[in-house]
Amino acid sequence: MKKKLLILGVVLVLLVSMLAGCAGNQGAKTPSASTGSNTGSSGDKFQSRTIKFLSIWPEDDKNSNGWIVSELSRQYGETVDGFKLEYEYVAIDQLDQKVKILMSSDDLPEVCTYESGVRLKQVIDAGLILNVEETFTELGIRDCLDEGAVSLLKRLVDGKGLYCVPLGLNMEGFWYNKALFEKAGIQKAPETWDEFLEVCEKLKAAGITPIVQGGSDNWPMTRVLNAYLVRSVGPNAVQDAVTGKKKFTDPEYVAAAQMFQDMAKKGYFAEGMNTIDPGTATSMLMNGQAAMNYDGSWKVSNLNSDDNTAGPEGIGFFNVPVVNDSSTILDYSMNCGNILMFSKKKYDDKVADWMKYVFPKLGDFAMQETGAFKGFSISKMPEDTTYYTQLVAEHLAKAQGAFLWFEAKMDSETSTIAQQSISLLYTGEITAEDYMRLLEETAAKSR
Amino acid sequence: MERVLGDKKAIALMVLPALIIFVGVIFVPIVWTFIYSLFSGMPGFKFEYVGFSNYINMWSNKQTVAAIKMNWKYILFVTPGQVGFGLLVSLMMYFSIKKFKTLSRTIVFIPTILPTVAVAQMFAKMYEMVPNYGLINALLDLAGLDRYIQPFLGQPNTSFGALVVMDIWTAIGFYTVIIYGALVDIPHELLEAARIDGASGVKLFTKIVFPMIRTIMITCLVFSFTGTIKLYESATALTKGGPGFATTSMTMNMYQNAFLFDQYGYASAVAILILAQCLLVTFIINKLSREKY
Amino acid sequence: MDKEKRMKNVLSVIGKIFIVIFLFVEIYPIFWILMSSLKHTQEFNLSPSYALPKQIHLENYVKAWYQGKMNIYFKNSAIVTIVSLFFIILLGTTSAFALTKMRWKLRDKVLKIFLSGIMIPTAVVLIPLYSMYKGTNLLNTRISLILTYIAFGLPLTIFLLRGYLVSLPDDMIEAAIIDGANIYQVFGRIMFPLMKTGIVTVGVIQFYFRWNDLIFSSTFISSTEMKTVQTGLLYFSDMYGNRDWGAIFACISISVLPTLIIYIFMNKMVIEGMTSGAIKG
Repeated sequence: MKKKLLILGVVLVLLVSMLAGCAGNQGAKTPSASTGSNTGSSGDKFQSRTIKFLSIWPEDDKNSNGWIVSELSRQYGETVDGFKLEYEYVAIDQLDQKVKILMSSDDLPEVCTYESGVRLKQVIDAGLILNVEETFTELGIRDCLDEGAVSLLKRLVDGKGLYCVPLGLNMEGFWYNKALFEKAGIQKAPETWDEFLEVCEKLKAAGITPIVQGGSDNWPMTRVLNAYLVRSVGPNAVQDAVTGKKKFTDPEYVAAAQMFQDMAKKGYFAEGMNTIDPGTATSMLMNGQAAMNYDGSWKVSNLNSDDNTAGPEGIGFFNVPVVNDSSTILDYSMNCGNILMFSKKKYDDKVADWMKYVFPKLGDFAMQETGAFKGFSISKMPEDTTYYTQLVAEHLAKAQGAFLWFEAKMDSETSTIAQQSISLLYTGEITAEDYMRLLEETAAKSR
Repeated sequence: MERVLGDKKAIALMVLPALIIFVGVIFVPIVWTFIYSLFSGMPGFKFEYVGFSNYINMWSNKQTVAAIKMNWKYILFVTPGQVGFGLLVSLMMYFSIKKFKTLSRTIVFIPTILPTVAVAQMFAKMYEMVPNYGLINALLDLAGLDRYIQPFLGQPNTSFGALVVMDIWTAIGFYTVIIYGALVDIPHELLEAARIDGASGVKLFTKIVFPMIRTIMITCLVFSFTGTIKLYESATALTKGGPGFATTSMTMNMYQNAFLFDQYGYASAVAILILAQCLLVTFIINKLSREKY
Repeated sequence: MDKEKRMKNVLSVIGKIFIVIFLFVEIYPIFWILMSSLKHTQEFNLSPSYALPKQIHLENYVKAWYQGKMNIYFKNSAIVTIVSLFFIILLGTTSAFALTKMRWKLRDKVLKIFLSGIMIPTAVVLIPLYSMYKGTNLLNTRISLILTYIAFGLPLTIFLLRGYLVSLPDDMIEAAIIDGANIYQVFGRIMFPLMKTGIVTVGVIQFYFRWNDLIFSSTFISSTEMKTVQTGLLYFSDMYGNRDWGAIFACISISVLPTLIIYIFMNKMVIEGMTSGAIKG
């Protein structure tokens, strides 16, 4: 009897869960249908609208770009009935793959984080995303974008036009912990690469870890390699190699990889650096576990926060030191950070309405809350700008030329190889020649 | 009798649904993959017939070659590790403990039922060095073995080792329980008779025990092999294939080529290669195991 | 003789010690995870990671469950796994029966087709399946996973159940048929109950395989609403991995606990099934 009851119970559970499964399936389809392209229903003002936002920033990470967008959307939601922002997180190293999958199923979300450069160009060519210039002009909000950012973004896609909005107008360089510099007896920030190596040596002698990079994400390591490459070969170094004008295996390219590996071998980088994530690297810089960290000006939001144990003026900044006269100290590594692109298929009145609310406010809101430039025009600077915000503003004002990050002009295969192999260059598993040969072979495939 | 057991309608009803799903989801795609493998690019994007050139190019693609090598190295460590430890533990259990046999078996089996990703996350935390010492580095620190403290997942060798250890740890229990089941079935009289004849230790094992569990050992090997050759889940969750390509398996290489580099054709060729290796090895194991009967 | 006996005793003691150490190694990491999941994030900086928690912080679990969206992932995993398990067992038992006890011409050929599936690696079907589901708009639905899981679950299920059925004598079937039972009655009333242990074993093995799937679920599913525990956990660790240790440990614990609990209640049946039943076929 007991057994029969048990069997009956199991069967019931199975049936119920199957029904739940079917119901769940239908339930899942409804929202996607309503967020779909059926513009027929979008005329209905009372229908609720969910805008999906694919982001690489944890939603609760205050002051991140993701938080800024979702916070502004929340404010917008208070003025509109039935609006909801569906926030979906994807790890940065999964982003490319995820976007590819969404592209191939023609299912890009209304708002999607991505990377400018070659990758964005592919999406543009596939005709899947909005021309932001046209859309924003139509909506009358074109002037909310900073012109400097717009021209940089256009340059990144070889003049195809403006198909995204920036989430930063960043310059990159070395952030350093002033107290540790003082402790090691370093008077001033280095301007040439030789001085820079001297600084590393002094720090090391004082028992301080000179540099920490968030190596688990790989790009923070290729940035350091790129820093030397650009300063020794010139701002177009990668571009030239990718197009075949030069080769990655040319001696001056190998020298840059060699420099990176030498620095690793000399112990200038934190131990186990390829297992450290960027967030941890930042906190290591702030609480004095390492003296320097190459990163973008987006770091200002961390530096302005209460978590900054180094204090309101404890961290300084210097531009990438120069190697020779191929570029000057007034050339900065600039970018617009990760960008937002918008699905053409899912664009409708409601998305437009949301855009009209969010983007004109974004520049000021971000400046006020985080002290960071987002590549949007700012109507008024907050009165109590922090030291860090000013520091970035000063450097941005000084900038005369710009160069791009390492992978900006690489196709996804070359860029993946560049990133995954840098870890091996760091551990000494492969030589500088090996590394550059890998890049050359991969890049040659798509020339 | 024949009429009932040969009822065509009943047979169709019982077998066809399963057969249709099976053929539709597995066999049709295999043929499909093979056809894809003769093309370059992806459908709708530079999709061209290239004959067998994907299969030829494969051998000059460093990442693919590295993945094949890595995968085989992994099989050579993990399959003997899983089955060997399973055998060892089951023998120990069978011969040296009297009490708590059921309890031991129950405990041993636990890692097998844990989700792979959870296990990988757990091990990642155990191997960690920065910002905090994980379990292993903390224990090394406690034991005063400071010079062995290292970022286990940050170095190609240790990261491979870390993966091997984890995958053996997970599966030992599974094989222990299966092999133990076979040991229990060995007739007691047989063991006693051998003991009286003076056989003990190694001799007892090679002459009596092993022949009795040979079939199950082969099943275990096939199980373990088919599991290890398609390595994907545990490596993705523990190391994401890194550092560099040190723990990138064939399946991961195929996945990357397909979904990251848009090379459906090339990735399909890699997939077919994986299939060919699977079939070949299983064929060899079967041949070898049958020969002795 | 004495010497030999002493030798045997020593060996037995070594064996016991080995077993104890081994069991400890197998079980301690799980204990460590559970303990760590109760710690405050700061404790990881202040005390070594083998230390026990100073205070119990259950808020880690709240965070994992809601912010980590474990509640959604759990529901999805449970539905997908249970539905596919139901069909695997239903289709697996009927096919295994027809392929073992019934008499027909193509039987051995069909059996071979099914069994060949055991060694088919998932990689080889991934791209076409992806294209197929994309074409039929099945990406991001549970159906895509369920169909795939059923297909991949069948070969091993049929193999194991067949091994089990072969060992059952035909007399009972013959007797029942002589008594006038039709084929469905033979299957439902006689064979199915006899396969019970085998079914439990198969069920557990398949549960484990399907619950643990990562490659299909991460390829076919991209929306948060449809994600399963495995993909969810991977995302959660990317998101909080290094920042919030307490929460990530809680998340791992949550994903481990249900299988652990089911196992603790079912372990007798499972182990029995594994040792005495199907596998040996």
